[in-house]
Amino acid sequence: MSHTIKPGDYVIVQRQRYTKLYKVKPKGNLTLGYFIIEIDKVIGEPYETIFQMKPKQDSKKLYSLEKVEQLTTISQLNIESSGKDNRNITDDGTSQSLTKEEIIKLKDESLSSADIVGKLINNSKTFSSKTEYSQEKYMKKKEKKYFEYVQFRKPTLRLLVQMYYRQEPAKILGLRIDDVSQILTYGNVQAGGNFILYDSGTSGLMTASILNSIGANTEGCLIHMHPGNECQKNAVLALQFPQEQLDRCINVNLYSVLRCFYQNEDSYCENDNQTKELDCDEKTETTESKIETAGNKRKLSSDNSEMPPPKKACWQYDNEKACKILTNKVDGLIITCKEHPVNIFKELVSFLKGSRTFVVFHLMREPLEELYVHLKTTLEFISLRLSNNFMRNYQVLPDRTHPEVNMSSGGYILTGFKLS
Amino acid sequence: MSFDGFKTLIKEGDTVILYLTIHQVYAVTAESKTLSKKGTLVDNVFQTPYGALKCGDLINKEYGSKINLSKGWGYILQPTPELWTLTLPHRTQIIYTPDASMIVLQLELSPGNIVIECGTGSGSLSHALIRSIKPHGHLYTFDFHENRVNIAQREFNSHGLSKYVTVQQRDVCADGFGTELEKKADAVFLDLPHPWLAIPHAAKCIKDTGGRICSFSPCIEQVQKACLKLKDVGFQELQTVEVLQTQYSVQTKSLSVLNLEFLKSPKLDNGSVKNEKESSRTLTAAPPVQQPGHTGFLTFATLPPIWARNIRITLDECNNAEMDE
Repeated sequence: MSHTIKPGDYVIVQRQRYTKLYKVKPKGNLTLGYFIIEIDKVIGEPYETIFQMKPKQDSKKLYSLEKVEQLTTISQLNIESSGKDNRNITDDGTSQSLTKEEIIKLKDESLSSADIVGKLINNSKTFSSKTEYSQEKYMKKKEKKYFEYVQFRKPTLRLLVQMYYRQEPAKILGLRIDDVSQILTYGNVQAGGNFILYDSGTSGLMTASILNSIGANTEGCLIHMHPGNECQKNAVLALQFPQEQLDRCINVNLYSVLRCFYQNEDSYCENDNQTKELDCDEKTETTESKIETAGNKRKLSSDNSEMPPPKKACWQYDNEKACKILTNKVDGLIITCKEHPVNIFKELVSFLKGSRTFVVFHLMREPLEELYVHLKTTLEFISLRLSNNFMRNYQVLPDRTHPEVNMSSGGYILTGFKLS
Repeated sequence: MSFDGFKTLIKEGDTVILYLTIHQVYAVTAESKTLSKKGTLVDNVFQTPYGALKCGDLINKEYGSKINLSKGWGYILQPTPELWTLTLPHRTQIIYTPDASMIVLQLELSPGNIVIECGTGSGSLSHALIRSIKPHGHLYTFDFHENRVNIAQREFNSHGLSKYVTVQQRDVCADGFGTELEKKADAVFLDLPHPWLAIPHAAKCIKDTGGRICSFSPCIEQVQKACLKLKDVGFQELQTVEVLQTQYSVQTKSLSVLNLEFLKSPKLDNGSVKNEKESSRTLTAAPPVQQPGHTGFLTFATLPPIWARNIRITLDECNNAEMDE
């Protein structure tokens, strides 16, 4: 495993708490909020290295990076006096004597955040009468605004889950970190098993999570079923799994694979296909056209039986590979969907072995209640549990420990065991 | 031997989960004989509210099948770390599944990792940790209590997990984790009354390429002390979180619907005045009347790779504010 950043690597760029996924390109530029950063200098440096953003002379907003060994931060500022309480502080908008223009000028003059905060403090009429805690809060708030250090981190599942959730929960179906963690445990995902995932769009996050738990150089396989033309795989790419591990993730269209399973049994039941391993570029084809060509090809081959069989597309091999696993059934079923789960579940659970678990995640509780009632009536499932989590983060500081001001609410999880 | 991988048939000596109802779940051993308190071999019979189960009868049955009891029936399942957490014999307070799940994800575990756990306790979390790192990884788990160590070792043996775990009796707060583990671990988990005493030892065990730590504490004062120590020895990205799970009871409720319209017009003489009661059926999910409101605080932190350890970046010190972007 390499610890230096190479062109083509996915990195997580972090500036304080803000994180962003970025694919490193030589001479590439990265937009990070207000800043546009030239990325060239990080190539060849180890992950987690800290860089300082330096404004380029000729262009506004464009910054270059410089590796640093030491940070200048507000903790080095010397605060002489503080007040006892805020009884004499009124917000009349005049406490800061620097104008907006002057502050922007400071920023453009490549002063560090600590310097800017220092100047802001010196020009503030009320700062010295603020309480110690209030001063610290003020400095941190200002430092955050002008913070000039960025870090390039190796993507991990944890960082990705947190990043996606903070950026846009809708893009990952509202999966919060506790939801992901429990889907993996209740799904009993581990190195040596075969799993089905139906995922209607989590930017590849669920696929990446399961692949990560299956691990490198193990036996486990994942059949990832998706409803669209292309599966989402942003998070899978970001984790940069070795090829051997990626090969054990079979991405198939839900309709296409089921059609193959029920209507094209010959294709995967025979044992003659084993030698026909081929590498092809699946990106070039969309599943829509795949389905159509599948129909056409079947007709063609039945019409002209003398013609050599047409060369199969990559997706067909994927379908057949998946169907072979499905005939032997799987060890876990995970559904993270935005559709109503009942029909999807009914169909896919037929591929689950007895005494194995399933997990269905939904952002809404009602569809899972309906699924629960359906499962109860079939008498084929036990240990059904519908749950959701209360999760909150804490600020832990000496004498200032309390729950964080903002919190979110997660989704709902239905789990259970299938009987033999 | 039933914890390692997925199994179809019950073999002699397997731990088997006997499921009666959602609140009546037990772990039994598929053995026809067992040692009595007096040390003699007797029939291994497990008594349930629905009658007795001769555990020897389980051998060669299929996991997931129905089993007859003398006054009813039950189902037999292959154990998972989650089912084990529900059924294991408590020697200590244990870590439950919502916390265990969060710990595994936040410690960034995947197959092949080396993890340190202290203390072993009743081995609830250990099973979840082992699942996440096998087959190439290893768990080193420590407890200062001799009996707990011995029982845990016996359980790992009988669960077929002993090749993935090393159990050791040791007071890590006083003596550290030993020189063999220095710079070996990807992650460390601490569940100790005084985690701050073990944190400096834990830091020494983490690989040069960096790693994660988690400290589980029921009390906020422990968290505060632990956080100070974590920062002190170079951990970054501190995060303290709690996770509580609500399990709903799904039920269809019948609600009566009152008809009040008829009150607006005078009574008719023809006798059709009698107001029929209507009802409406509602599918709902009710939370329990009472549930655990606190287990413990989970504090996580990162020890950066060795080349980035001397620079302290304030990644974790602006938790409250919203981001600009």
